[in-house]
Amino acid sequence: MKQQRKAALPRYGEYNCALKYIVEQGFETRCILPPPLSRHTEDLGARNSPDLVCTPFKTTLGSMIEALEAGADTIIMVHGACRLNYFGELQEQILRDMGYTFDFVNLSLYNTGKKKDILRALKVINPHCSMVKAGKALYEAAQMVEHLDDTTAMYYQNCGFDPSGTYPKIYRKFISDMYAAQSLADIREGYRSACHAFADVTLHKPADPIRIGIIGDYYTVMDPFSNLEIEQKLADMGVEVHRLMNITNDMLRSGEKNKQAKIREFSEYNMGASSTTDIWQAQNFAERGFDGLVQVKSACCMPETDIMPVLANLSRDYAIPVLYLTYDTQTNDVGLMTRLEAFYDMLEMRKKVTP
Amino acid sequence: MNTGNAFLGIDVGSISTKAVIIDEGNAILAQEYIWTEGNPIGAVKKLLGLLEKQLDRETWQIVGVGATGSARRLVGSIVGATVVKNEITAHAVGTTTFHPDVRTILEIGGQDSKIILVENGIAVDYAMNTLCAAGTGAFLSSQARRLGIEVEEMGQYALQSAHPTMIAARCTVFAESDLVHKIQMGHPREDIIAGVCRAVASNYINNVGKGKKICSPVVFQGGVSKNIGVVRAFEDLLRCPVIVDENGHLMGAMGAAILARRSLKRTHFDFSVENMEFVTRERNCGGCSNNCEIICVYRNGTLIDFWGNRCEKGALRADKA
Repeated sequence: MKQQRKAALPRYGEYNCALKYIVEQGFETRCILPPPLSRHTEDLGARNSPDLVCTPFKTTLGSMIEALEAGADTIIMVHGACRLNYFGELQEQILRDMGYTFDFVNLSLYNTGKKKDILRALKVINPHCSMVKAGKALYEAAQMVEHLDDTTAMYYQNCGFDPSGTYPKIYRKFISDMYAAQSLADIREGYRSACHAFADVTLHKPADPIRIGIIGDYYTVMDPFSNLEIEQKLADMGVEVHRLMNITNDMLRSGEKNKQAKIREFSEYNMGASSTTDIWQAQNFAERGFDGLVQVKSACCMPETDIMPVLANLSRDYAIPVLYLTYDTQTNDVGLMTRLEAFYDMLEMRKKVTP
Repeated sequence: MNTGNAFLGIDVGSISTKAVIIDEGNAILAQEYIWTEGNPIGAVKKLLGLLEKQLDRETWQIVGVGATGSARRLVGSIVGATVVKNEITAHAVGTTTFHPDVRTILEIGGQDSKIILVENGIAVDYAMNTLCAAGTGAFLSSQARRLGIEVEEMGQYALQSAHPTMIAARCTVFAESDLVHKIQMGHPREDIIAGVCRAVASNYINNVGKGKKICSPVVFQGGVSKNIGVVRAFEDLLRCPVIVDENGHLMGAMGAAILARRSLKRTHFDFSVENMEFVTRERNCGGCSNNCEIICVYRNGTLIDFWGNRCEKGALRADKA
């Protein structure tokens, strides 16, 4: 009998809990969780990647190598709206050239727009599993992602105002609950207890705190390791950090309709990938009276680079400062801290004179 | 004896180290400007020695110390600073105190350059160069060396030129090869120098100042503001007068001193730091795969501060060190 398959997906923020859930509960296959992202991951990825490819490619490649080293024999790679569609093909080739033997499930090849085809592609990892069961797991994982995004949003909006230091503990407990979840009941229970625990913490939040909206490319903005924990750093300064860009808002909930039409004043055509969404989110933050915006992007990310002039116009029209940050495989956060501190100081001084 | 409160501000940059001592009314009591020469601790000690001679210690007592610049953390822990602030905020505070009506602050230092937009005396937007040192003081220094002149003389040469040479300013590497090419083609030296100055100014406006509305009055500071050639180039490109304060190079230190004055924290600073021995040591934490590089600072053999660790694991290790 063939040994049971051990499937893995590269690390992507904390979303691996939901991906693991689909593989384990839906396809009844063992899921290998790559180690948390680290300098070692980036080194591995950068050494084996083309130099000018964007950083998420290098990070995910490094994570795949770590997964293979940890014993995975099947790698699953997702697809997306930009170069991400070609990531899988290139990464598979690089890994094979490095001498690894494995099966590769490249979802980009099945990207027909029909959810059924994605399920059919995933069926490769366990041909005997029931499609009904897989569909159910997919639905439940989507619930998990929604809870994860809600909890994360709640966490970064409030953790800067919790002097007791209980917030990080609750959040970490919630994350580990999600990784351990085996059923929809587990997921709901974990979410409920996190919500209750959050509600029990007394926050010392001023009536009108500094609010910063974060926008950026699909991977870097959602992955704390890749953006050097920018949300935590800002929150620690006493900022309410908001991020609309997450899987829930972008894929699961129908969300805002006709974004392109709503931002016509700033940009008439779609510039690909997350560009339209980002501009709309920036406009949304500005209209809600936020104090500042931070754009988080990977070096060599074309759509995010293209929207910079648009953000500059938006910044002028709404009189909202924008901090543009570009991330490469850097390990030192001193330069980032200088810019964030200065940005915070500026917003604080501005707020004092313009209520 | 009547002792007045004085405030010390130290700005340790990559190239130069600046310090001022001011009184409650922002009047300068002592000031000094020396080269960092890759040794921030040594530079600060030397600087404090020079300041001590200038200050009338009978009359003034330093009660607040502010540190800024890229070595602010290190220097802050050595001198026991009451305020440690990033250089962007320090420059904005310093400049708006002396030029309350300023709208735009251009700043070009040794390794970095920044623009700060000001409205009603408050910084409202800023930008800083990223990833690349093109168009900074380091570029000017290396080109001066290539042309065989001192970087301080560049401005005077540039003023003699009537037809500045066009030099590609996008990137230091391309600018340099373009410059070599133009020299070998036979362009006169003063035109080349004027071209380099213009390249610095246009690079700045196209990169750091991209998308920013530059309004007059414009104040230009940082080491490069001492180069009259670059000042003229900015005036040509911006079509407005560019103010260069004679204390422009001290604005970061001034800002740090003013922030120390505004903060409520007080200390009793004497110049004993000069005679203490400071050692820094780098340790790799090794607690996890991040392998954080932790910098430990020792004063006369005892650990006084450390940083670089991302989690508490590193903190424990530094204590044991």
